[in-house]
Amino acid sequence: MHETIQAVILGLLTGGVYALMASGQTLIFGVLKVVNLAQGALVILAAYLSSSLFDAFGIDPFLTVLLVAPAMFLLGTAVQWCLLRPLHRSDAPQLSLLVTFAVALGIEGVLTLVYKSDYRSIQPGYVNRSWTVAGYQVGEVRLAACLLSLATLGALALLLGRTRFGRAVRATVQNPTAARLLGVESGRVAALGFGLGAATAAAAGAVYGMVYSFNPGSHYDLISRLLSIVVLGGLGSLGGTVIAALAMGVVSALVGALVSPVWSDFSFFVVLLAVLLVRPGGLFGARLRGAL
Amino acid sequence: MSNRSNGTRGGRGGTADGGRLRAVAAALAAAGLALAGCSSSPAHPVSASSDARPPLTIGISLSLTGDFSDSGKSAQRGYQLWARTVNAAGGVLGRKVVLDVVDDTSSPTQVVTNYQNLITKNHVDLVFGPFSSLLTVPASQVAKRYGYAFLEPAGGGPAVFSQHLHNLFFVQPAPVVQQGDVFADYILSLPSSQRPTTAAYPALDDPFASPIAAEVRSRLQAAGIRTVYQQIYPAEATDLSPVVSAMAAKKPDLVVAGTQSADAYALVKAMVQLKWAPKLLYLSNGANDPLNFPKNVGAGEVDGVFSSGDWFPTATTSGNTAFVAAYTAAYGGTGASIDSTSAEAYSCGQLVQEVAAKMGKVDNATLISTLHSGSWPTLEGNLSWNDDGAANASYVLVQWIGGKLLPVFPADRAQTAPVLGKLPWSG
Repeated sequence: MHETIQAVILGLLTGGVYALMASGQTLIFGVLKVVNLAQGALVILAAYLSSSLFDAFGIDPFLTVLLVAPAMFLLGTAVQWCLLRPLHRSDAPQLSLLVTFAVALGIEGVLTLVYKSDYRSIQPGYVNRSWTVAGYQVGEVRLAACLLSLATLGALALLLGRTRFGRAVRATVQNPTAARLLGVESGRVAALGFGLGAATAAAAGAVYGMVYSFNPGSHYDLISRLLSIVVLGGLGSLGGTVIAALAMGVVSALVGALVSPVWSDFSFFVVLLAVLLVRPGGLFGARLRGAL
Repeated sequence: MSNRSNGTRGGRGGTADGGRLRAVAAALAAAGLALAGCSSSPAHPVSASSDARPPLTIGISLSLTGDFSDSGKSAQRGYQLWARTVNAAGGVLGRKVVLDVVDDTSSPTQVVTNYQNLITKNHVDLVFGPFSSLLTVPASQVAKRYGYAFLEPAGGGPAVFSQHLHNLFFVQPAPVVQQGDVFADYILSLPSSQRPTTAAYPALDDPFASPIAAEVRSRLQAAGIRTVYQQIYPAEATDLSPVVSAMAAKKPDLVVAGTQSADAYALVKAMVQLKWAPKLLYLSNGANDPLNFPKNVGAGEVDGVFSSGDWFPTATTSGNTAFVAAYTAAYGGTGASIDSTSAEAYSCGQLVQEVAAKMGKVDNATLISTLHSGSWPTLEGNLSWNDDGAANASYVLVQWIGGKLLPVFPADRAQTAPVLGKLPWSG
């Protein structure tokens, strides 16, 4: 029983990390209907930037988010404005896959040239610390990641629900044509939305870099998980993304600990397929799609 | 170290490291080739005495771009350093060494074309091997076809030796799957009162990781050390906390993990965070990297961890002190920053020099027949080979002691005795 509960705790904490990473992905899909294959690479890029700031200046990785997020926002906005906006509307969903994959490869190439392909991780003094609660171990950084994830998602919810920009985003998501007729500059909203999604990678990158070792190629494994989470949650649903990430974490950890790590990742995909058979739109896709 | 001999993608045993870069790397391939061309013969000093005789041309295909480019460039540095060193001393039998290096883009198809061209068009005198088992297997077949000796630094997988090639010489102490044998030897050398009674064997699903753990397990089980946990985890598993949690529940005295790099780091980090430590911990790879292991798990968490490898900067093997000094003078850094692949490549050159000095001639038939008898000192230790090209020596057991990675076993290559103490996070 102890092993099972510990696995659930580990899974929830891991799920929190992934929820943070997937939130940007789902936001971008929600706004642009673009499956952003570069989101994993953006997370890894942010991890490298955070690592460099920590190594060079000793800035705490959580604080580096304040510096890295604006840079990622600008990068994301530039990618959308320069590479995605010119795509012809009818072909955009398909071509954007290629464009964002190219962006991912470009980021990976630059990171390899600059940092080489050795693994690294961000090692502040507290990175391996954990609390013992009733005999169970709770990693401090992972718990902080969960809290950061909730805070980020809360901030996004506020931004989308309580601001003029948020209303413009939601209007664009629900009906782009009607939004334009009502004066919403959908092009600008799209660029800012993509930038915002990229900015969430800053927080995700800092956390990922502390929890896992990474190298420029780490985004391949990451993107497959992020896409699975977003699909399970319901494309474009922030709440669904969180629940899907937690589900992925718990299912994988339980199977990894109690059955075999060989089936750990596969088990999540079994859950994904089972849910999609029953609800093709994902857990919250039908109800919440368009509402973010 | 054997992870760098990986015929799959490196690091996490072939997940994605460095990997799938071909699209980006293709744009750089031309530049890489140009650099390779520039970096061969003209850069090497030529002694006056060596000008009178024709140069000794050695053809090498290396992964200067693509998945194995980091390791390929490390091999290139080793080869070049040897050529520069030997030319400064008058060459091999008075012949200036000229390296003809071409890029195979980490492709097993291109590597065949390259060796074919090197031998039939460029008419090189000798060839040295590429990086990885994946490329060594097809390349060694080309060398065999034309009767060339094939001294290769980084193809240590079973597929290399199952070819039964008499012209092939793997310039590392032993096949990769035997990397953990030295740890089993050490455990079995302990008095029964100090020997662990139970063991766990987590291993990465990788041909250069899980067979190492399996080999150690079979020996320790036969000696009565009970296996309480044995699992293989996939290369995609970034979070190994569930594995460690399940392993901890079995309370093994000893953990022998077949690892590459990232999973080795993940295992240690998970153990630290779960506040669980076995009495003894051996990681086949990852922990044998003097630079990156402490960087990834924390410098305070390394002491006591065992690993093994073929070469270390503090080794007392033939020419090693001079090699480390020459390398750091040429490329900067410290001994700890030298990739063992450079030492492996350099050792290929040492063998050519030694055969030439002993036999008074250097050609392929002489190399093949001469290297198959006797024992040959290199940076990798004293090497001799079986008929399949596998060296008959042993890896070196190393342990982190006082924040340093030190050879501890076998006694003739140890710098200090192993320390049987608690791991730092065991409380």
